Amino acid sequence: MSMTLADYKVGIICCSGEDFPEGTISRVATRLVLEKLRPDETVTLCLPLFLAGGEDERAFARVFPTIAVDGCSKKCAEMGTRKFSGKPVATIVVSEVMKKYPQFKAKSREKLNAEEMKLAMKVAEEIAKKVDEILCKKTKK
Amino acid sequence: MQEDQEMSPQSIGESKVVVVSCAGMDKALGSVARAAAFKVTEKLKPNETVLVCIPPLLAQVKPYPDLVKKYPVIVVDGCAERCATKIVAKSGAKIRGRVFIPQSVQKYGLKPIAASDIGSDGEKLAERIAEEIAVQIDKLLGK
Repeated sequence: MSMTLADYKVGIICCSGEDFPEGTISRVATRLVLEKLRPDETVTLCLPLFLAGGEDERAFARVFPTIAVDGCSKKCAEMGTRKFSGKPVATIVVSEVMKKYPQFKAKSREKLNAEEMKLAMKVAEEIAKKVDEILCKKTKK
Repeated sequence: MQEDQEMSPQSIGESKVVVVSCAGMDKALGSVARAAAFKVTEKLKPNETVLVCIPPLLAQVKPYPDLVKKYPVIVVDGCAERCATKIVAKSGAKIRGRVFIPQSVQKYGLKPIAASDIGSDGEKLAERIAEEIAVQIDKLLGK
């Protein structure tokens, strides 16, 4: 049985790190993609579960394309995915995206304020763009 | 903690407790775990705690593995997978306290709404859990 595009999903693995506001932005941006921007095309993979040995998460990432969303230059999500399943198709680093929007500052780790939410939406839009690129390549094949 | 800031067991000092929380993306309980960890480490016990992030701990990024080996650790697990416990145990740390969020939901009768917004009951639940963790921290530090 062949897989149709409707069956095709892109896995998003975000760092969700607690050390910096960027980790929280990665988490919120991922949820925005999942719940608002590309709900039918994406799933999220839980990074702690993935790292702790979750075989379902790892198997998914071996079969389907993944996007790592990292808060900082440690790139834990990318590193973990590469180690246990394979290289992500794309990596988005929040601290890099933020450089494009110097007007927005990120300070909160627990709850994002209105300005930080705008930044999370910018990151979410970049993730959605990558999802479209990946799915577009699949339809062309 | 700032990215460029030096953090090591030496720079942090003696009497600390490490908090390691589930950062689960799939479930609202993961968001409650995260919120409770922030409430303890930023509001209730900022001077007595260090919040250690799971992904760099497993990736052996310094100084995280040293921190969990040096200080007593409290883990906050969001679901039955207990990823925080598994990863901390793998790191060779001594777990001195545990919180299991599904149990706390039953205990307090407060249920979060969703992973992206835990809602007011979720916030209350996170506050209660944070208070419990704060009590555990005092005991561990002999206060």
